[in-house]
Amino acid sequence: MSKGVLVDLTKCIGCGSCYVACKLYNENKWSDKAPVNGKAAKLADENWTVVKEYNISRDNCNALRFVKKQCFHCEHPSCASACFTSALRKTEEGVIVYRSNLCVGCRYCMVACPFEIPKFEWGKAFPVVTKCMMCYFRVINNEKPSCVSVCPTQVMQYGDRDELLVEAKLRIDSNSAYIKHIYGENEAGGTNWLYLSDVPFAQLGFKTDISDKPAAAYTSRYMSLTPILGAAWGLVLTGIYFINKYRKKNAAEKQMKANDSEGGNNA
Amino acid sequence: MSEREEREIDGSRRSFLKKTLGTCLTVGAATAATGCSDGNVSGGEGWLPEQYNIPGNYPVQVRGRIPIDRGNPSITRDDRKCILCGQCAEVCEKSEAVLFNYELPLKDDIPCIHCGQCTLWCPTAAITERDEKESVLHALENENLHVVVQTAPSTRVGLGEEFGLTIGINVESRQVAALKALGFDSVLDTNFAADLTIMEEANELVKRVVGQIKAPLPQFTSCCPGWVKFCEYFYPDLLENLSSAKSPMQMQGALIKTYYAKERNLDPQKIVSVAIMPCTAKKFEAARHEFNSSAYITGYENIRDVDYVLTTRELARLIKIKNIDFNNLPSASYDPLMSEYSGAGAIFGVTGGVMEAAVRTGYYMLTEQRPPDALFNLTPVRGLQGVKEAVLQIPNVGELRVAVVTGMANSREVLKRVRNGDAPWHFIEFMACYGGCISGGGQPRSALPPSDAVRAARINSLYTADEKSVKRLSHENDEILEMYKIYLGEPGGELAHKLLHTHYIDRSMHLTAKKALA
Repeated sequence: MSKGVLVDLTKCIGCGSCYVACKLYNENKWSDKAPVNGKAAKLADENWTVVKEYNISRDNCNALRFVKKQCFHCEHPSCASACFTSALRKTEEGVIVYRSNLCVGCRYCMVACPFEIPKFEWGKAFPVVTKCMMCYFRVINNEKPSCVSVCPTQVMQYGDRDELLVEAKLRIDSNSAYIKHIYGENEAGGTNWLYLSDVPFAQLGFKTDISDKPAAAYTSRYMSLTPILGAAWGLVLTGIYFINKYRKKNAAEKQMKANDSEGGNNA
Repeated sequence: MSEREEREIDGSRRSFLKKTLGTCLTVGAATAATGCSDGNVSGGEGWLPEQYNIPGNYPVQVRGRIPIDRGNPSITRDDRKCILCGQCAEVCEKSEAVLFNYELPLKDDIPCIHCGQCTLWCPTAAITERDEKESVLHALENENLHVVVQTAPSTRVGLGEEFGLTIGINVESRQVAALKALGFDSVLDTNFAADLTIMEEANELVKRVVGQIKAPLPQFTSCCPGWVKFCEYFYPDLLENLSSAKSPMQMQGALIKTYYAKERNLDPQKIVSVAIMPCTAKKFEAARHEFNSSAYITGYENIRDVDYVLTTRELARLIKIKNIDFNNLPSASYDPLMSEYSGAGAIFGVTGGVMEAAVRTGYYMLTEQRPPDALFNLTPVRGLQGVKEAVLQIPNVGELRVAVVTGMANSREVLKRVRNGDAPWHFIEFMACYGGCISGGGQPRSALPPSDAVRAARINSLYTADEKSVKRLSHENDEILEMYKIYLGEPGGELAHKLLHTHYIDRSMHLTAKKALA
């Protein structure tokens, strides 16, 4: 059963408790270059989560909205599909975890992620990829992720994804202020972090052109043949090697025989 | 060794390395690809406060922190020092009734009354006042500028704590000496303007009571900028009840660049007006766009009544930076013209103090008699209770019923009654900080959380100052009487209105007040 988080953006007051909790729990450094709040907030190798500020004007008045950003923890993670060393994997709890000691630094995950979440430690001599781990060690201890537990307005609700979806639909149906869309229900094949908002998602920096099909689904039919093709190609090459070796040996023997018979004639 | 033998050894070394490396790589890649190797999942190397480390869905009672707008003129926060203890949110919600007293979603503002209680409760000093001491130092270094400073009633009973002195000790003369040592050209006392506020506010109250001006009763005090903004946010329908008199700081500020400049023959444009306050909301108040009466009077459009507000803590830091030996300073006295004060002005920093000062002068204005002794120790409005009441008998007028509220959370019930029309009072004093300005958000962090013992010591110190004063009535302040005579005219007169009175802004469109509280 996948665990997930339902984020109700209408409840966020922009206090930033979530990113402080993330920094404290994961011992991530505070960066001067990448702000964690304000209009310029952006995810970075040290910032696994940020709270970005948006001033929306609608119905002739302004609305202040805050959006918490972090890894969406996809149901079918493209990053994990792209990772050939299995440094990125989806656990049975639905968390996409990363193991730096398996990572070769190819950064395919960064290209693969439709939400541009994984970041690379460009400034380090031995860099690794970083992203939100959904506080994996808390989750397996039956504790809520750090950001969820510290939120004073309970913007986030943690639980089984299926139950969160039911709750989200209930909220949308009972309050006309919400946009009739649960971001993450189908995006990229469904994500474990689900968002509700009263402002169109496009105005809050959410990507709205993301396919409902997980990226890996487009290529899985033929990409799944890769191991077989690899093994077969290896066999073919080995075969050619042996054929060549045999032919070389034969040719050499023939030559030797010919030389012998020539020598015999001379003698 | 023959040539052939050498070649064989070479070949075997190379093939050995090849085989070993090849095997390692193959096995490594295979284990990784199949997911057989587990490695360590990244993250989780740090900590969270214990209250958050509970399994299951149990609620965490004290959690998170307050939101602070990056443009907040009063307070700021260093995220690096925050440990999510939740204390700021506690005091903001439970003591000041701001956080969670509005519905979500937000409108276009993060509601804040700038009281700064969060700066006192924050155990790591992550939340502090917006530091302006650099700007003041810069002004002090400029020879061409005349830097005037005013000091609030409460800073003199707080500042000593920053230098290891007894809590609540009155360091008035040493504070003046320190300010002069820092290079301020003139040191004036906001207590003077406190007396002036009483002249205007009591005059307004009397007019409301006798029906000379059409404004509703009860009249609310307006010297606390935190309370004023609270009223503007949550009770816009009661703004008419707010006294139109400015706070003492803004009165003093408006007069510094007009009356004081005129009397001292100074160019108002070259005066820098600094205020030392026990309060973070005063930074917000000074920045309110309507507080430029001196510009209106002098015609210099760009001047402000108060240029910089420093908290008591900032002043202490200034003194420490400049290496001034505070405890051994010789005593000094305020500069004349706008510094004389009565005992009534002195107790402005205490909850109930404004009320007590106002009724003393109000009594005189209504009866033209010296108030009875009871009004010089008005015990029903003294002390740390959240809501206090008193009934005064005024000859030929009748009963004057007053109330005193400290801490905005205590104001809700009183305001509810005013809104419903069943408020028996004529005059209500409101102060945002519990205990009054003596435990304002800009005062030294003596004990955490700010304890009643500290508050009581500072309060007693101001009441002692009142008792020791020769004059204990605002309307006996000679400098004030002189100023009315030569400059302002009558209390509540035309020039007095332009300089000393203000209007309020309905801010209710910036939030959705919780209905249950109304």
